[in-house]
Amino acid sequence: MDTQWPRWEVFKQDAPGKPHQAVGSVHAADPEHALLTARNVFARRPQAVSMWVVRAEEVFSWTKEEIAQDPALRGESRPALGSRPTTYLVFRKTSHKRSMTFVDHVGEVEAYSPQGALREALARFSDAEGLVWWVVPAEKVYKSDPSQETVESWFDPAKEKTYKQQQYYATVSASRPKRRKEDEAFGEGCAHC
Amino acid sequence: MPGRYGVPTDPDYQERLAEFEARIRRGEKIEPGDWMPEEYRRQLIRMISQHAHSEVVGMLPEGAWITRAPTLKRKMILVAKVQDEAGHGQYLYHAAETLGISREAMLEALLSGKAKYSSIFNYPTLTWADIGTIGWLVDGAAIKNQTMLAQCSYGPYSRAMVRICAEETFHHKQGKEMVLLYAQGTPKQRAMAQDAINRWWWPALMMLGPHDKDSPNTEVLVRWGIKTKTNDQVRQEFINEHAPEILAAGLSIPDPELRYDEKSGNWLHGPINWDEFWQVVSGNGPMNKERLEARRRAHAEGAWVREALEAYAAKQKKAAVAV
Ligand SMILES: [Fe+2]
Ligand SMILES: [Fe+2]
Repeated sequence: MDTQWPRWEVFKQDAPGKPHQAVGSVHAADPEHALLTARNVFARRPQAVSMWVVRAEEVFSWTKEEIAQDPALRGESRPALGSRPTTYLVFRKTSHKRSMTFVDHVGEVEAYSPQGALREALARFSDAEGLVWWVVPAEKVYKSDPSQETVESWFDPAKEKTYKQQQYYATVSASRPKRRKEDEAFGEGCAHC
Repeated sequence: MPGRYGVPTDPDYQERLAEFEARIRRGEKIEPGDWMPEEYRRQLIRMISQHAHSEVVGMLPEGAWITRAPTLKRKMILVAKVQDEAGHGQYLYHAAETLGISREAMLEALLSGKAKYSSIFNYPTLTWADIGTIGWLVDGAAIKNQTMLAQCSYGPYSRAMVRICAEETFHHKQGKEMVLLYAQGTPKQRAMAQDAINRWWWPALMMLGPHDKDSPNTEVLVRWGIKTKTNDQVRQEFINEHAPEILAAGLSIPDPELRYDEKSGNWLHGPINWDEFWQVVSGNGPMNKERLEARRRAHAEGAWVREALEAYAAKQKKAAVAV
């Protein structure tokens, strides 16, 4: 058996202005491959406008339980002499409700270590209790091309495939299934092809 | 992280177990990094990896019909459905990986024949009506199970299930629509639909697992919120929804003892042939050998793609270092 490719965590943004949300992971040989695979796995349905990927080992994660049990995490941040801070992206989960997404992107912090970034995040994003926190060095995150051309070619086809939506079959009933216009249109040959 | 997976010999096991079970009773999700019993982890890995393998192997019986779909519309629907099943396998392998098992180890278990997957995919798809019937009954049974698992106490499994359920509804509806159309079609179409229902009804009931009394894991799975319903409860839900719909379509169900019980409001079924179920699970179903061979062949024939992608990645890395 061959050795598996590295694992990449995937974040998806549903619409401009919404946060990128962790949706799962993929295995891929390089960042480009990871983004393409992420799109095929996690954006077969609308909505999506942007995706990020990061190597799983670049993600630093703490649950509320882990933070409670590690008093060192709540101390002061002490930068090493002469070191420069790094920008970290911060992600947080705040609810136990049923959901298909995990942690949401809430912002950035500057810190000298992942632990320092978590301390910063706990102080800065205190509007809601974090059940899980992720911090990720910003420079390790690879993003899908934001140009309109790429966004359209990556994410628009899913919108046209209406037969993947359950509403498309809303008229199905055991006693009298209704034939839709599209049935005929498709039967004759698809208008798009 | 020492002690993250607790075993009964740990000095603090009882105390932590009590906290863990209290969290589950409060409806909290357990997340990677949280303390959990090693047995909780083991049961989850077993269930999630089997579930992932089922999605992957499940592509085979339907994929075989893509080239023979009767219209372009049906072909596009089937391609999309099979793609979805591949995606479901990916979501689930991801969920299992959060428990510290590698994808490679899981694939190895599948290809070596060591791992189990759903018994249903070891039956052949003989006619095009099987494709509609699989959507209606097999995906229909899967949805009942997956809707229950979407409530699971383990966060990653629950999230995978919520995502899967949203997609499965399309699988179910397209199949139901197809069978209902054939049920109202020509005598030949009706006969084809009936034949498919006759062959898939019992395997669909079996795929929801042994009766509760023969399912030793159920008690602990329910206590830890991995499952929120038993096999028999899920099976009853499935029958209560599908039996009246099949009958209303003018089709029959191959169970002479099937009847509606006024008192309980349930459709009661006759005895299930569990010998057949255990035969199929232990590798003697009609298609076990072929399914495994198809997976192995796909893995071997894809080797050059994996090698090429790795070589490309190495080249990119080198170029990046040189700059
Ligand atoms: Fe599926
Ligand atoms: Fe499905």
